Amino acid sequence: MNNWQNFTKGFFKENPTFVLLLGMCPTLGVTTSAINGLGMGLATAFVLVLSNLAISLVANSIPDKIRIPGFIVIIAAFVTVVDMCMAAYLPSLHESLGLFIPLIVVNCIVLGRAESFASKNKAIPSMLDGLGIGLGFTMALTLLGCIREVLGSGKLFNITLYSENYGMIVFVLAPGAFIALGYLIAFINRIRKTN
Amino acid sequence: MSNFTISPSPHIHSGDSIEKNMYGVLIALIPAFIFSIVFFGIGAILVTLTSVVACLIFEFIIQKYLMKQRPTVWDGSAIITGVLLAFNLPSSLPLWIVIIGALVAIGIGKMSFGGLGNNIFNPALVGRVFLLISFPVQMTSWPVPNGFSTVDAVTGATPLAIVKEAVKNGQSVTDALASTGLSSSNMIIGNMGGSLGEVAAIGLLLGFAYMLIRKIITWHIPVTIFATVIVFAGILHLVNPVHFADPLFHLFTGGMMLGAIFMATDYVTSPMTHKGMIIYGVGIGVLTVIIRVFGAYPEGMSFAILIMNGFTPLINRYCKPARFA
Amino acid sequence: MGKKLESSFKNMVLVLFLVTLISSAAVGVVNSLTAGLIEKVQIEKQTQAIRAVVPAFDNDPMTDKYMVKASDNEEAVEFYPAKQNGELVGTAIKTYTNDGFGGKIELMVGFTPDGVIYNYSVLSHKETPGLGSKMDSWFVKGAKGNIIGKNPGTKGLQVSKDGGDVDAITAATISSRAFLDAVNRAARALDKDSKQK
Repeated sequence: MNNWQNFTKGFFKENPTFVLLLGMCPTLGVTTSAINGLGMGLATAFVLVLSNLAISLVANSIPDKIRIPGFIVIIAAFVTVVDMCMAAYLPSLHESLGLFIPLIVVNCIVLGRAESFASKNKAIPSMLDGLGIGLGFTMALTLLGCIREVLGSGKLFNITLYSENYGMIVFVLAPGAFIALGYLIAFINRIRKTN
Repeated sequence: MSNFTISPSPHIHSGDSIEKNMYGVLIALIPAFIFSIVFFGIGAILVTLTSVVACLIFEFIIQKYLMKQRPTVWDGSAIITGVLLAFNLPSSLPLWIVIIGALVAIGIGKMSFGGLGNNIFNPALVGRVFLLISFPVQMTSWPVPNGFSTVDAVTGATPLAIVKEAVKNGQSVTDALASTGLSSSNMIIGNMGGSLGEVAAIGLLLGFAYMLIRKIITWHIPVTIFATVIVFAGILHLVNPVHFADPLFHLFTGGMMLGAIFMATDYVTSPMTHKGMIIYGVGIGVLTVIIRVFGAYPEGMSFAILIMNGFTPLINRYCKPARFA
Repeated sequence: MGKKLESSFKNMVLVLFLVTLISSAAVGVVNSLTAGLIEKVQIEKQTQAIRAVVPAFDNDPMTDKYMVKASDNEEAVEFYPAKQNGELVGTAIKTYTNDGFGGKIELMVGFTPDGVIYNYSVLSHKETPGLGSKMDSWFVKGAKGNIIGKNPGTKGLQVSKDGGDVDAITAATISSRAFLDAVNRAARALDKDSKQK
């Protein structure tokens, strides 16, 4: 597998949301609007790239029996850094994402990539893997956020498309997240089957 | 109609065709429909017609173009879904919302699961709950019955909502009911605010009797629900009559009759054995009263039925009839 | 790939210690860089909320902040006096109610010195989207449930359903009542405060 494939597989073939179905908690929780989905996705992508890089560099120096606690500490450090930087420079986004930023620590995607890819590969492929998966995740969350924002509140990236009074509030709430995600996955599966 | 996949045997109604039963249910719905026209006038007809036509069209389009099957629109099931959906809506609901409800009922509630016989949840209720959460303002503005009068319909709260709010403000239930001027005879006839098909208890009970005589459904589910509600609400009422309304109030208001007789008894989404039906009915009764009395929404019938729909496969497993061997 | 470090007790303790040490050092550095900025952002947010609800002022209401209890068995509300050239032009009151449909609602309500509502803003709430959540635009000037320019006094504002003159949010009477409860709490505290002076 070359570097290009390491990078692109996260978009479609191994898309963490639509194909691997990982990280469902932020996927369903924060995608009430496109901007929230985008912000959450980019924050996760940032953590993924850095943690994959750090872990691929130190993996050989961490004894096998304590690799999980070791990885988690590294991931948690990056997440805390992201959390503090967002609070300082993007306060409004930080507020709307709330608890979900600290929860990136327990996102299966991050630990999953560390365990299954970064700990076995060199620095450059690991970073590309993290970037690809992270952008795939961002793409999925933004798409879901767009659908929920348009159907739920009649806006897209905060630009009003039609009056909020015609929006279906269920899409802003949790059940709408499940419905929209379900149909997106069905749609992606259909495409994957015909390909 | 051999191309239908219905849940595995044993079937309750062997020998009957789908059409015969479906159109029987439709006939049973007629008395309640007449009452709703008397109470709500032209709005009731418009909402029902829109809902039925939209359900038929969506079913046809999805079967023909998305699922690439031979459309089976005229088996009556889509018509029933349309009528039941309309019966669960306020007669003043804008028609575009009715159409969205029909799309959700048929598209999400029925066809996404594979069509008739495969759906887990009652499609009409899926549509209603979707609309209730999506358009809370329009879905909770109930016109007060005034028939064909040309005066603009006044909107008012349902009796359940009035009681709920009174309790939240620390008033007694009896005072709240007295202030609405709602007599028990009005409640039984259905002269009160509510969705267009749920108010007329007498009409719905006539339909129930017809379906029992024609053996379209058995008594188990509706009677168990009524009994559970009477017992459970009765206990609450005895404990604290100021705080909890009497059981007859619970029986004759909201979607209790409509839900118990027509929605909970849907073949596809209710248990197959009599024992299972009784468990299912008790579950619906208890959940409805709990949601009505302690929940955030004033009415819990539709949520209770949907929740128990989810348990139906489990109940069927538990109540498997003994094999002859 | 090189050889893995052996999982001996000494190795594990040493590596975990080093990993946590380096991680916490990194977090500490970033914290010291951002802490000041985060605090500034939060103060700015609060000042903006105050600026939105009272007439123009030139003092720092944050430093003049004091607490007033509307009655003995209620939580105190925060007073932010706004002064222009040393003279009181309005008071922003951070008030609350616990009666919301989804629990606590926090508001910033601005009063002019004679007790008339100048403006308000919603700080936090958990009301139903599309119903109670409309309160940030429902009670403003020109909207249906306008409360701006009204003087709640000690009697308090009420929704029209309860005999008052404020139109409740359609299908969200409970949220509207809770909203007015928070406003009235602020008004009572303001009244008590002015009597004490």
